[in-house]
Amino acid sequence: MRRVAIGMIFPLAVTALWELAAWAGAVSGDSFSRPVLVAAALVAAVADGTLLRQTAETFVSAIIGLAIATVLAVAAGAVLGLSRTLERLTVLTVEALRPIPSVALIPVALLIFGFGQNMTGSVVAFACFWPILIVTISSVRGIDPRLIEVGRMMGLPLAKRIRKLALPAALPGIMVGIRIAAGIAIVVAVTVEIAANPRGLGHGMIVAQQSLHPDLMWATLLWLGLVGWIANWGLLRLERRWLRWFWAQREA
Amino acid sequence: MSAGAPPVLAARGVSLAFGTPPAARTILSDLAFEVPEREFVCIVGPSGCGKTTLLRVLAGLLPASAGEAHFQGRRVAAPQPDIAIIFQDYGRALLPWRTVAGNVALAFEARGIPKSEHAVRSAPLLAKMRLAEHADKFPAELSGGMQQRVQIARCLAQEPRVLLMDEPFGALDAITRQTLQDEFARLCESEHRTVLFVTHDLEEAIYLGDRVIALAANPGRIVEIIDVDLPRPRRQLETREDYRFLEYRHRLFQHLGHE
Repeated sequence: MRRVAIGMIFPLAVTALWELAAWAGAVSGDSFSRPVLVAAALVAAVADGTLLRQTAETFVSAIIGLAIATVLAVAAGAVLGLSRTLERLTVLTVEALRPIPSVALIPVALLIFGFGQNMTGSVVAFACFWPILIVTISSVRGIDPRLIEVGRMMGLPLAKRIRKLALPAALPGIMVGIRIAAGIAIVVAVTVEIAANPRGLGHGMIVAQQSLHPDLMWATLLWLGLVGWIANWGLLRLERRWLRWFWAQREA
Repeated sequence: MSAGAPPVLAARGVSLAFGTPPAARTILSDLAFEVPEREFVCIVGPSGCGKTTLLRVLAGLLPASAGEAHFQGRRVAAPQPDIAIIFQDYGRALLPWRTVAGNVALAFEARGIPKSEHAVRSAPLLAKMRLAEHADKFPAELSGGMQQRVQIARCLAQEPRVLLMDEPFGALDAITRQTLQDEFARLCESEHRTVLFVTHDLEEAIYLGDRVIALAANPGRIVEIIDVDLPRPRRQLETREDYRFLEYRHRLFQHLGHE
């Protein structure tokens, strides 16, 4: 509680300063609005359900994209991490595709999926695929060969050696990749909504800005930060639970 | 053991060299010996004599350059569940994300035993290795000696015909080592286990073995084979003070880098 209280000092001070500046006319109300108005807009948008609906739209797209990316990237990463030959075969393709900015795929995704969840989700999946793939490859490559030998001596077939030994051993690294990708997923989902897809929080902000509602625009932005923070906290909690052994090992 | 039955494990002229002929380095040179059923055979040699490499060849983890490893008369071309190996570095061989019971269960999973039977089957093994009250702990929460017991329990769960042991007690402190030596010797005695035990500690080799094979280094080759005529059960004080023990020790001493 004490830590939270100390952590709140800075944002509260900034808010107070913001209110004071707006009140003194130092910042324009048309672009910066005022904390009081922003708070009112936030309460109203939550109360009438628009903010929650937009949040669901944005986060469902982000989660779909992240989930698809995780499944594909972990599977591909495990195979490429274990097989030097396949890795050499694909390294050029990976390095050529990876630098493509994911938002540059918006026109392509629009052509294929039209407007809606799948369009945002596909762009998010593309963006999230690379960090998870690269982290998975290096984590799988870094696992102790002794573990794989243990599996071979017991007669575990290759598929089970991957599932029961390689992937759990690489999980601490993979989780870091997923957490990085989760941040990217929200950024990309909101970007797609701002740029092209008329739905979700991103679109809500654009509409608020264009209809001269800076209070709602700021409220949506703050809300986005809050929800993102909660999502990250949830992922950390999950990670702590799944990786209990990892932290036990660290402390020993 | 019926007459004429092939030995459980045999090295038939095993040689191993790394590199291509002009620059090749010979690690093992024409090793031939047998491990008959129910016998505890120790291999002792200085570091660098290829003890661990030999064990890996016999386990099917590493192909020999010449000669063959045999299990029950058939060539060992790949690892097989009948041959279990216990590694010295238990910390690397255990799955840190699984509890003690979970680590043992890995052997059951490899054998396709249904999950419902795992607890029933692992309970006697854990009791035998004195791990019963640690079943739900992670390896990192156990001492080195306890972790090595887990690895032994897991290998026993595999129900192998022969145990290959690569300096299993080498990383433990002296008292833990002696305790584990005695426990393991009793276990092998009562269950008539067939064991090939590698160590650089010649006293350990004599203390545990029915037979001791001494290797010399560069290249690894057999220099002496001793049949150990000491009563069982062996005892840390009496056995080590027995005149025969001292005689064996004397004979082996010169092979361990003191030539």
